[in-house]
Amino acid sequence: MKNSLFVLSIIALTGCQTVEPWERGILAKEEMQWQASTMEARFRQQMFNSKEASSGTSGAAGGGCGCN
Amino acid sequence: MGSNTLDKAKSPALAALLSSAVLLPAYQSAQADAPPESSEIGFRYGKYQEDAVAGGDTLSGEKSGRYDIDVAQFNLIVPVGDSWSVGLTGQWESMSGASPWFSVYGADGQQKVIMSGASIEDHRAEYGVEARYFHEEGNIGFNYVNSKEDDYHSDSIGADASLNSADGLRTYSLALSTSVDKITPTRGVAPTNTLKADKDIHSIWMGVSQIINDRSIFNLGLGYTQRQGYLTDPYKYRDNRPDNREELVLSGGYRHFFDDQNGALQADYRYFIDSWDVESHTLELAWVQNLNNDIQVTPFIRGYNQSQANFYSDVVVDTGGYYSDDHRLSSYSTVSYGLRLKKNFGPWRVSATAERYESAEGGWRYSQVPNKALVDFWGYSLGFTYNF
Repeated sequence: MKNSLFVLSIIALTGCQTVEPWERGILAKEEMQWQASTMEARFRQQMFNSKEASSGTSGAAGGGCGCN
Repeated sequence: MGSNTLDKAKSPALAALLSSAVLLPAYQSAQADAPPESSEIGFRYGKYQEDAVAGGDTLSGEKSGRYDIDVAQFNLIVPVGDSWSVGLTGQWESMSGASPWFSVYGADGQQKVIMSGASIEDHRAEYGVEARYFHEEGNIGFNYVNSKEDDYHSDSIGADASLNSADGLRTYSLALSTSVDKITPTRGVAPTNTLKADKDIHSIWMGVSQIINDRSIFNLGLGYTQRQGYLTDPYKYRDNRPDNREELVLSGGYRHFFDDQNGALQADYRYFIDSWDVESHTLELAWVQNLNNDIQVTPFIRGYNQSQANFYSDVVVDTGGYYSDDHRLSSYSTVSYGLRLKKNFGPWRVSATAERYESAEGGWRYSQVPNKALVDFWGYSLGFTYNF
């Protein structure tokens, strides 16, 4: 799995095109962002973190809670 | 957006036409290399509602209700001067219901769950503040978060930084956090595993975001978290966990915009492994469809599976060493799916999401007998933001 990710990353990096700043209009659209909304993302992550043994995706872990 | 980036535009006239949003670097999101152009305030209400445990899975033979949580959220971000922004967050939760206490074997030889009874009543309040400094190559932020419940108190600080490559196609990010948590369980006259304990969480994360072409972008992230101290669930009857846990996360994300469909594909994957031998895979796919009148409709699906912790068992019979029958440490798979709607009204944005989460029996990869306490739930939320 890790090897696959590494290979995919190399392919993606080597396949990258030069995109000038004025060509990034689509990339700036809301649907191209990494999160739907900060508050909704926090709400969902808290649900998953409190019901699964795994946590974390992007960013540092921060503090805990007694969520059961 | 930094002036140096504008200078790279082919003509001053074109540069003048470009909004700062168009020039977002590879990390996008709320983190640009200039403060937001306007202030934004947002509120959101969320409801978390677990399904009852079936009568056939409890020792009493009676169906048992579980947990409900009401969540109110607040978010404010304000630009300060030319180079700073300040953010405030608040979250208030009200929790009630019952949760699995421990498991035994029933007369039929199957695992049966004993619930805590409808004894849980708790409230949580979380407040956060963030200051962020923007420069021409990226930004750096600092944050403090305080979370307080009747039985849990956490203070955490964090810092993060993002740096653009010279061509703005790639962004490197680094984040650090540390927290000091205090646990003081309360459950009336029922015993708990401790009366007072401490826990510390230290975490580091690094990532890179890369523009592939003018329609697609991807990111990779690597995170490490160490939890030290009292990691046992204070409310589980048979639970004794190691006082150290090290976690590693490898993640990847991809976004691609399709002109013909006027929509975007979102794909996110996470690989997780820890020192308790829990290993998991998470994959989430979403399709964002733009419609007329500034409306977006987004169906999404998330798959998750994990292996069990090395001290887990469905029913704890030997209380030597470490042990737990917590279903969250068992081997299982889940699927969740939902729908998100968004609509813009000038400076207002309204969004609503409904999501169903189901614990699957067995699994795609780990074919263990599922714990009877595995949970199905609904999550709903409705929110709005206003820019001014």
